[in-house]
Amino acid sequence: MKKVKILIEGMHCASCASNIERSLKKVSGVKEASVSLMLKKAMVEAEDTVTKEELEKAVARTGYRVTRVE
Amino acid sequence: MKSRGEHDPVSPPEDSEIRSWKWRLILSWIFTIPIAALMIFERIFDIVLIDMPYSVIVILALGFPVVFIFGWETIRGGLRGLFTAYFNMDSLIALGTIIAYVTGLFSFSGLVQDYSGVAAMIMAFFTTGKYVEAKARGRASQEIRKLLELGAKKCTILRGNKEVEIPIEEVKVGDLMLIKPGEKIPTDGIVVKGESSVDESMVTGESLPIDKMKGHTVIGATINQDGTLVVKVTKVGSETFLAHIIQLVEEAQGTKVPIQKLADKITSVFVPIILALAVLTFLNWWLLSGDLSRAIGVGVSVLVIACPCALGLATPTALMVGSGMGAKRGILFRKGEAIQTMKEVKTIIFDKTGTITQGKPQVTNIKSFISEKSLLEIAASLEHLSEHPIARAIVNRAALRRFANVTSFKILRGRGVEGKIGRNAIVIGNRLLMKERKINISKIIPFLEICEGEGKTTLIVARDKKVLGAIAVADAIKEDSQQAINFLHQQGYRTVMITGDNEKTARAIARQAGITEVIANVLPEEKAKKVEELQKHGMVAFIGDGINDAPALKQSNVGIAMGTGTDIAIEAGDIVLARGSLMGAVQSIALSKAIFVKIKQNLFWAFAYNTVAIPLAVAGLLHPIIAEIAMALSSISVVSNANLLRRKMI
Repeated sequence: MKKVKILIEGMHCASCASNIERSLKKVSGVKEASVSLMLKKAMVEAEDTVTKEELEKAVARTGYRVTRVE
Repeated sequence: MKSRGEHDPVSPPEDSEIRSWKWRLILSWIFTIPIAALMIFERIFDIVLIDMPYSVIVILALGFPVVFIFGWETIRGGLRGLFTAYFNMDSLIALGTIIAYVTGLFSFSGLVQDYSGVAAMIMAFFTTGKYVEAKARGRASQEIRKLLELGAKKCTILRGNKEVEIPIEEVKVGDLMLIKPGEKIPTDGIVVKGESSVDESMVTGESLPIDKMKGHTVIGATINQDGTLVVKVTKVGSETFLAHIIQLVEEAQGTKVPIQKLADKITSVFVPIILALAVLTFLNWWLLSGDLSRAIGVGVSVLVIACPCALGLATPTALMVGSGMGAKRGILFRKGEAIQTMKEVKTIIFDKTGTITQGKPQVTNIKSFISEKSLLEIAASLEHLSEHPIARAIVNRAALRRFANVTSFKILRGRGVEGKIGRNAIVIGNRLLMKERKINISKIIPFLEICEGEGKTTLIVARDKKVLGAIAVADAIKEDSQQAINFLHQQGYRTVMITGDNEKTARAIARQAGITEVIANVLPEEKAKKVEELQKHGMVAFIGDGINDAPALKQSNVGIAMGTGTDIAIEAGDIVLARGSLMGAVQSIALSKAIFVKIKQNLFWAFAYNTVAIPLAVAGLLHPIIAEIAMALSSISVVSNANLLRRKMI
């Protein structure tokens, strides 16, 4: 298990945050995803097998930009 | 030379967002004001400035950049949402404005009335609303941003006899930092030379400066007051106290408050429902009235009035403002859930040592049948081999340069110590130990009783089965413990003190603090079980230092971990106090309650707004522009209301 912090740009409403959350949770291996609109950040708890690219793609799918993954 | 900007503080994301909305806002209105003027003159004063087909062309031309250039991000995001089924707020606005704009194109055919001016105005108001909201959100996070900016940028390092100024990133553990009066302490460390007082209020909330001398730890980002200090670096970068605090606050932002769950659920299905509702409304109006233009107008109103934002922002903004306020006072919320649970808490359990008391026992009374000096010498020689805080107190009091040689030393857990000095068998400990060793203590009993009645812990010193004397050690209660507990009683909380001390000592301390319920003789590992028993009568908060009571903190419904300086048991509590004062705990309880009230207010307004506004729009009672203004105001009001939390004096 690992914790990943994703900085996201372009969110400006609550439904944006809930869309990203939904999309991240669909990635197989993701246990928990919580998106903070206020901090423009997603906190993801996932299996070690989940790659950075998969998570980035999940965010991009909903139409938002990833600025950094930690 | 490093390039400029590399070590500049990262500009907070809010700023660029606010700037971008501001530009879009200004440009949108430059084009929208003429449109508004045309519409107002035409509709209200019946003055036609430009004749018919041309006026539509002018409005379409002016409106195009507003909707499709300055509003491009909204349109693009919204359309993408529609096509990928990740509907969002923008989907509603995009659809509303595009439909309205397109009516302008079709109006030439005479099929529909021209709504294109409305499209520009909706986008302009939407942009304005977003700008104001972004600003208010920026204000909501101001304390946390200040925390991020608190860290020092540069550091003066001693290399041999030379002072070298280096960027903070290059400082390494073990470096010696020179800190002059008035300077910020660059990073965490331990004082090796000098004396000063340090203002730690920015990270612990403690308002009085703390005296620092050799051996004391200092926290990065605090301000050195009047002396010069040489500090050995112990922690850098993400390991520092400040970094931990920031991380904690950020993580807490990501956690959810249970009450938000319903709102989140609604938000996730909100947009598709509104889309469906808008289509139904449009069809209904069109079929029933046969007025296509009117039906389009009403449909657009429904699209733009619905506001999932207010619902989604209700909790996070209040949490943001509240946790920022807390951080400023040395109160760190680790879990949003604790804020909601706190209002159910009826009983507050306090650990004694280090929570109600200072946790630093000191020798207060000595009764000796030999010289006091000899008694302390014997006691300290044995006790310096023990790590127990009470042992430390005796060693400190004796202040010996050399200890006597002790052989066959043994620690008897919970009872005392024993060993040999020369040929003499020494036993130091409580009554129980004396009884075990069959030592007659009758002549010291009056002294023991007086001291125990005052809440002091007594140690009997015996040599070759004969009592030499006794030493009383007390852990004084913290200055504000009584005040804090009084405060909690006034608010109707039941308070309980839990301790490993004997009944008598425990009662005496509890009396001083104002607590009536005491659970004494509890071994550290039993504390969690006692908490569980108390939970049968309702929700329980446990306040402890998190060092030996971590299981109890976890067991309780709300665990409040108290720390002093850099030693905070971050993992142990739901709420962590950077300052070791019980008033901090009281503040954290009050702040939790205030935040929760704000969250409830916000959710109420957000729900109320949507349940009133949407039916009005469906009924065709709201013009699309009025609908858009109402929508913008609803999310602004939620964020502004969260900011009002600051007015609460906690």
